Amino acid sequence: MLNDIQTIKNLAREEIEKAHSLKTVHELKIKYLGKKGIFTHKIKSLGLIPQEDRREYGRILNETKNYIEELLAKYENSFKTLELNKTLQTQRIDVTAPGYCIPAGHVHPTTQVLDEIISIFTSLSFNVEEGPEVELDFYNFEALNMHKDHPARDMQDTFYITEDIVLRTHTSSVQVRIMEKTAPPLRVIAPGKVYRCDADVTHIPMFHQLEGFMVDKHVKMSDLKGVLEVFIHMIFGPDTKLRFRPSFFPFTEPSAEIDISCVICKGVGCNVCKNTGWLEILGAGMINPRIFEMAGYAPDQYTGFAFGMGIERIAMLKYGIDDIRLFYENDKRFLEQF
Amino acid sequence: MKASYNWLKEIADFSLLPKELAHALTMAGFEVEGLEEIEGDIILDINVTPNRPDCLSITGLGREISAILEVPFKNKAVNIQKQEGKGPEVEIKNSQLCNRYASRIISGVKVAPSPEWLVKRLETHGFRTSYNIVDVTNYVLLEMGQPLHAFDLDKLADKRIVVKISDSEETFHTLDNEDRKLSKDTLLIWDSEKPVALAGIMGGLNTEVSLSTVNVLLESACFHPASIRRTSKSLNVSSESSYRFERGIDIENVVKALDMAAQMIIEISGGRVSGLTDNYPRHHASKQIIVQHEKINALLGIRIEESFLQNIMSRLGFEIKRAGEKFIVIPPSFRQDVQLDIDVIEEIARLYGYEKIPATLPSIRMQPSPRNERRDLIKSVKNSMAKSGFSEAINYSFINPEILNNLNIPSEDKRRNFILIKNPLRKEELAMRTNLIPALLNNVSLNLNRGEKIIHLFEVSSIFLHSDQKLPNEIIQLTAVCVKDKTASLWKTKHDGFYDIKGVLENLFNELKIREYYLESDKALLEPYLHPGKSCSIMISDEKLGSLGMIHPRVLEAFDIRADVGILEISNLERLQEYRHYKTEFVSLPKFPYVERDIAVIVPMDMTAEKIKREISSIDSDIIETVNLFDIYTGKPIAEDKKSLAFSIRYRASDRTLTDEEVDALHFIIIERLKDTLNAELRS
Ligand SMILES: [Zn+2]
Repeated sequence: MLNDIQTIKNLAREEIEKAHSLKTVHELKIKYLGKKGIFTHKIKSLGLIPQEDRREYGRILNETKNYIEELLAKYENSFKTLELNKTLQTQRIDVTAPGYCIPAGHVHPTTQVLDEIISIFTSLSFNVEEGPEVELDFYNFEALNMHKDHPARDMQDTFYITEDIVLRTHTSSVQVRIMEKTAPPLRVIAPGKVYRCDADVTHIPMFHQLEGFMVDKHVKMSDLKGVLEVFIHMIFGPDTKLRFRPSFFPFTEPSAEIDISCVICKGVGCNVCKNTGWLEILGAGMINPRIFEMAGYAPDQYTGFAFGMGIERIAMLKYGIDDIRLFYENDKRFLEQF
Repeated sequence: MKASYNWLKEIADFSLLPKELAHALTMAGFEVEGLEEIEGDIILDINVTPNRPDCLSITGLGREISAILEVPFKNKAVNIQKQEGKGPEVEIKNSQLCNRYASRIISGVKVAPSPEWLVKRLETHGFRTSYNIVDVTNYVLLEMGQPLHAFDLDKLADKRIVVKISDSEETFHTLDNEDRKLSKDTLLIWDSEKPVALAGIMGGLNTEVSLSTVNVLLESACFHPASIRRTSKSLNVSSESSYRFERGIDIENVVKALDMAAQMIIEISGGRVSGLTDNYPRHHASKQIIVQHEKINALLGIRIEESFLQNIMSRLGFEIKRAGEKFIVIPPSFRQDVQLDIDVIEEIARLYGYEKIPATLPSIRMQPSPRNERRDLIKSVKNSMAKSGFSEAINYSFINPEILNNLNIPSEDKRRNFILIKNPLRKEELAMRTNLIPALLNNVSLNLNRGEKIIHLFEVSSIFLHSDQKLPNEIIQLTAVCVKDKTASLWKTKHDGFYDIKGVLENLFNELKIREYYLESDKALLEPYLHPGKSCSIMISDEKLGSLGMIHPRVLEAFDIRADVGILEISNLERLQEYRHYKTEFVSLPKFPYVERDIAVIVPMDMTAEKIKREISSIDSDIIETVNLFDIYTGKPIAEDKKSLAFSIRYRASDRTLTDEEVDALHFIIIERLKDTLNAELRS
């Protein structure tokens, strides 16, 4: 009887190993393990075995059945894999055709640069404030020490709405507005649109500026240099050199113009820096005590600095844009580059 | 201001090369914007800031250079060898507007073209040349910074000068052959009968020096800056003279310049010089400014030695005296810009060298910084729009009022009530925008013309409306425009463009956590520039927040756009703040599975999906979880005036697994309800 089992086992193994398809494996499964299969039959006829041998015989029979089962599963699995692989091959697509997606849009380069600058200054604990674009002559000029007959008004071509209302020519107009409603200490940046009655290859009538100012006891000109140095290094990289030179703004004294080493040619000289190696990038200075008087601060108690910058100028340098007029034409081929 | 390198060398004894000089000037606050070589000389183009009129001359610049470089200043001596007779008769009636008026008569001159060296100097400095007498006045202006004027003496009635304001409106014919309409109170130079010059700005044609002139009256005066500027601005006429007067000239230099010119005239054109008339009703008072040493250090963040301080001051021609802990500083007469201690400190910083001031970081008291909610909102909106595939456009704030005709906006609409610009750059851009649509439609048109087919643009900008305050209302708007590619594209989606732009709104409000909004197609609220069948208003609790839809074909035509354009407009972005749900509240995840059933109904064409959804949701049951429209079908076999809408309804109970029987029962109720109340027909 045991020999009989051994023979079945050998035969089954031989047959399974010869199987060449999933179908054959399934047939063999039925043949050996199915309801009418050889093993089922054997198990059913277990009762015919004498009592004393039955236990041993049953164990061997079971072992052999398990062996066949495992072998069949192994072959079944490998044939299944083979067949799946074949099917997958027929489902081949052209992976080089473009993907389907809704491409994300692009925030305007001016906004991106402005956001970057704002985040630098907020990290230095400046607060963001805003003022109106259509502004009183008072806040745009008078309060900044530029009375109606001041020749410094020639430095900016102004759009007028009425005698007393202008399109603000700079974001400095926010200074006295904020000072009037807030007591020092102050650390403020004020971004926004400004307007100049001027248009040619290098000028557009509307552009963006960011004004910054700090007022407290003991604010020094060296602090202005330090803060602007941190800012420039963060936005143009730590190797950028800064150059402070005297200038004039009616609302700061001393006043400074800040140049940075040309980011295009690294100071060697090129078209962008007109071969000087330097680029004018910021106007700044210590807030003129006359402004504190205007705002109702005690001029001998507080000192402060202020600075202003053109955003498009910085964006042009950051991205290498060579024509300022491209900014507000809104050609999508321009907008989608940033 | 143009300045010859060689000429400057006559004034200041420096040895720097032109480029080095340019750098030294730039670093001292006189930015050199260009160097131009002209016939063996270099002309520097120097940006002289409005506070430094004393440097609007070769002598002034030379004096400044000598201070910057610490080299000798060669001040030219002037003396008139021979004077004959008395000076002219001059009367100043408005001494607050004319603080000094000096003059001499030069008789027996020969008017002729100028010698070549003089012509060359004037031309290289950008001056037009004329006869010798006039050229000399310009030469002295250039060298000394003092504007001069020469009258033909024999054309002056009674050979007399009166300085006074006009007491009525006048018409005056200036040298440049223009009739100038003068307002009352304009400061003029008169003879006994008539005005002969616009004081400080330009002479009159009636007393102009000509080839036949034999005797001249030479004027060297000091006028009040603001008065000159007002007249110059109101007449829109400016000259080298008015440019200097309105910034302020050195009153103590008036006679010296007069004498230099007189001397040059007799050398060049012959003649005899009269005695001097010097009417000087308002003498220069030198100002004493108290400066504290500690303030200088504290403000600049440096430690400057007293000796260095003294050195800087004296180089600049300032007197400085010590008075206990303080200094008393007296600026020279040519430095009218220095009024306060801060002005002195600026001068010290300038010559100390900004480069030598260290860079430090301020120590600050910590304060919580308030959130700028407006900016946060704008940022979220821009990011959401970008995520939906829209790129940000920024347009100029100007608009041509006429363009609203293209949008069919009626004349009584508040968007027609513009804030106007008095001096627009181009006359068609004379107003501030009251909405963003025309600019964005122009952007669409530009991009289409440049061959783009898919356009998704948005703008977030201020618009300007009249208010009852002094300043207009500045309102932040959002407008988005969308053009979908109609030509063959690889992965096609066939839906109407309206649903693209509606999806953008849904994303936006989802991002901003705005939930209680609805779309209203009430005709009364619809914008006239939108397609009447494909547009709606965006509403929250009866407030219209904006519009959504396709642009009206007529409007597209007016903007020359050959494509369908979808538009989303939020007319006041900040109104959204009120409707945002800032707090996020967690809802437990369902514990039991859902059952889904579909239903398709045939309804009249004008029935809305929203109405059917609401009808279903209104059924009194707590197991209807969501109702989702998944198909709209028109066409055969459905009747022409009807459409089929298919919904998938998801049922779920929170406390048990639903049985098929209870779902079927409810589904049946829904079908019956739709049949009864909406006249829907079940599609099988
Ligand atoms: Zn460069």
